[in-house]
Amino acid sequence: MSSLSTEQAPPISVPLRFFAVAPLFLILAALIAMMGDSIADAHTPALLAATHCITLGFIGMIMFGAMQQILPVVIGSPMPSSRPVAWFSLLPLIFGTLSLSGGFLLSNSALLHLASLLLGLAFLVFIVASLVSLARAAARNATATAILLAVVALSAAVALGIVLAQGYASGLQLDYQKLASAHISLALGGWVMLLIVGVSYQVVPMFQLTPNYPKWLSAGLAPALFAALLLSLASNFFEVLPLGFVAEGLFWLCASCFALVTLNLQFQRRRRVTDATLNFFRLGMISLLCAALCAVAALLAPAHEYFRTLSVVIFILGFALSVIHGMLYKIIPFLVWFHLFRGGVKKGVPNMKEVIPEPWMWQHLWLHIATLLAALLAFFWNAAAWLLILGLSLQGMLLSFAIFTGIMVYRRTYQRLAKI
Amino acid sequence: MSELDVRGLPPPEPFENIMRALPALPVGATLRVLLHREPFPLYAELQDMGYAWQTSALPDGHFAILIRHAK
Repeated sequence: MSSLSTEQAPPISVPLRFFAVAPLFLILAALIAMMGDSIADAHTPALLAATHCITLGFIGMIMFGAMQQILPVVIGSPMPSSRPVAWFSLLPLIFGTLSLSGGFLLSNSALLHLASLLLGLAFLVFIVASLVSLARAAARNATATAILLAVVALSAAVALGIVLAQGYASGLQLDYQKLASAHISLALGGWVMLLIVGVSYQVVPMFQLTPNYPKWLSAGLAPALFAALLLSLASNFFEVLPLGFVAEGLFWLCASCFALVTLNLQFQRRRRVTDATLNFFRLGMISLLCAALCAVAALLAPAHEYFRTLSVVIFILGFALSVIHGMLYKIIPFLVWFHLFRGGVKKGVPNMKEVIPEPWMWQHLWLHIATLLAALLAFFWNAAAWLLILGLSLQGMLLSFAIFTGIMVYRRTYQRLAKI
Repeated sequence: MSELDVRGLPPPEPFENIMRALPALPVGATLRVLLHREPFPLYAELQDMGYAWQTSALPDGHFAILIRHAK
């Protein structure tokens, strides 16, 4: 255990450049959504473009940056060549997402072809770097297993996404509904769900001071989610409907189990202080339970298509975004503190609580809850879509400001103390 | 052997407490640190500061790290 490399963590600029860009895509998503008709129909070009700004430009961007920082901390193995990997995944991800959104909005084949190339490159670099890191990992724990399965699911989701984009661009005759359904399941149920599960095993006990996740859950949950997802995809592909019904039910049962255990662990935390980040996480877990309920309702009443869309909206805005906001507000202050310390600043390093003011985090939490309620209301009342658009834009601005503040605290402290 | 128990403290307090305890560690002596998770970022700092360490997982899911000056 005493032979780890001296420099485990990537430079602070690596994760922060992803975090700095990501909120801009929330604002862009809101601007594009203004051109859409109704949130209940996610297949309009504007909503397809806006959704991909959120999933690729925001969620994907944050997860790219966070993985570079989290891997050395939770499995003891950094990504190789952190700076080139960062640039060769960040730039193609930015321009690929812009091309894809533009391609959807303008029904432009050239932009969709370009997006496939750029996004293919971004994900290839990221996936290969993640697999190298996982192969070299000192720790063979439940987090490493969950992240590996998440990366496998991501690879398949990206491959299907490229097939779909190429199909739209070239006018190929494909079963778009089946392919799109598998793409969404692998991206959200595979990549996003499994990554959050794996990282939560470490981050929830570490930052929220809860007991560890029970072994029966951490050992079995990610493989069970992955197996249920694969079985559900195979059943839907070969149209073995009863089996698909059971497999999807099992997936949501496992997801609900994760949410309930996490809420229970948070209830048992050692320090009874409630902060905004804890409540972001709680909101995420409650949203996951609601997404599961809607998905089960969609299984039981397939004629009511809006249950399926509602489940996806709650999963993305309620579960993924809440957990990401909660993690960012812990990770950024930790990064600032850690890199100042590692950079040789041993005295005068600001307390983690001084990096981003807590009242901002609370304001963001209330704004996020209002945005989520507006999204749900928009299913029944079109005018609420404007509140959703406003909420997303304000969240993007607030998060940008918070991240910028974190960067400035780091730079000011480093420059001030370097002179002493 | 002196012992430092930092289980249950929020980050970065375990790291800070270990850094505060190390200068008082005599050459040849060992500091036993108890933590609730494996502190991968600590290892890089220990290596830079010239310490050797040995980590073992405890049956209750916590970790014990023996730290001494590297020879």
